[in-house]
Amino acid sequence: MNVTATLFGQMITFVIFVWFIKAYLWEPLTKAMEDRTNKIADGLASAELGEKKIKDAEEHYKNHVEEAKNKASEIIGGAEQQSKNIIETARHVAKEEAAKVTKSHEQQLEQDTNAAREKLKSDVAELSLLCAEKVISKEVDKKEHDKIIKEVIGK
Amino acid sequence: MSQGESPATDNPVGYISHHLKPLTTDTTGFWQINIDTMFFSIFIALVVMFISYRVGNNIKTGAPSGIQNILETLIDFVNGLVREAFPKPNKLVGPLGLTIFMWVFLMNAMDLIPVDLLPKAAHMMGIESLKVVPTTDPHTTFAMALTVFVICIYYNIKIKGLGGYFKSFLVHPFGIALAPINFILTIVEEIAKPLSLALRLFGNMFTGELIFLLIAILPWYIIPIPGSMWALFHILVITLQAFIFMILTIMYISLASEEPH
Repeated sequence: MNVTATLFGQMITFVIFVWFIKAYLWEPLTKAMEDRTNKIADGLASAELGEKKIKDAEEHYKNHVEEAKNKASEIIGGAEQQSKNIIETARHVAKEEAAKVTKSHEQQLEQDTNAAREKLKSDVAELSLLCAEKVISKEVDKKEHDKIIKEVIGK
Repeated sequence: MSQGESPATDNPVGYISHHLKPLTTDTTGFWQINIDTMFFSIFIALVVMFISYRVGNNIKTGAPSGIQNILETLIDFVNGLVREAFPKPNKLVGPLGLTIFMWVFLMNAMDLIPVDLLPKAAHMMGIESLKVVPTTDPHTTFAMALTVFVICIYYNIKIKGLGGYFKSFLVHPFGIALAPINFILTIVEEIAKPLSLALRLFGNMFTGELIFLLIAILPWYIIPIPGSMWALFHILVITLQAFIFMILTIMYISLASEEPH
């Protein structure tokens, strides 16, 4: 084999070819592949993070629900207690009121009775006085007398 | 050309030597250029460059598809080999290995085109002889091996320094006491690297082509069986030779860029 221009031509072709592949294929493509690897790694990491977040959120939510349930039952218990108290108080108040009313009525009644009795007494005295006057003013007439008395009493 | 017209079996020696004769320019001496070798190798290089340019300019960052997928697989494969051989990242070896693999593979693959097809077509266009497989021309394989050799020397001097490089000739492999023997041994070792690289590929492809030609001489009703068998086997040889050239290049440059100890 002679050393000919073919050898050097092939060498030049080879060098240009290598340079071209390096500049236009190898470098952009390896960079893209690296970027993709990073992207996938990031994606996986964030997916893991998301999963963890979901778990945390679930835990949080469970706690909240539990808390809310407890609070609700507490509130219900309190309300029941309160309503009982209110009823109790109302009953108490009503009883007291009723007792008061009854008492005042009784007093009124007694007063009225007393007043009526007093009046009756004074009336009787007056009537007796009137009768006596009439009897005295007029002559004593038994019949008339009796009649008057009967009249007075009949009143 | 009489051999082109008559059946191959009439004049086997003429047929074979005709097929192995390169198409050259009329000039002689240094400027005698093998047109067929240059044409096919540059044609393949241009096709690969065109495809690479299109893929490189239109990279899909999401899921890759089609030719980008193939090239990414190749790059990953070459990158894995380079990372194994090089402790420090090296920007040149990856693309160099990839280019060697693609170019050698495709040039070798020209072997799978039926031996008579392109020479016959060329004959019809008035071209007398045509060698289709550029790697059956030692010019191609030596061109690549010498380029690799130059890169090796460059890395040797860059890493070890000029003095360190010459010192490695004297102390390796037996130590400074046997410096002259070491010098001869290392010279032989260094020259054997590009020589074996070039001759291995050339020898494999040349004999492969020769066997295709021998099969083509057989009567037409026998050709299909050995022809298809050799073609199938040759697919392996093509890939293997491309791979060997690439991996040896990577190894040689890795050895050259080793720190002195």
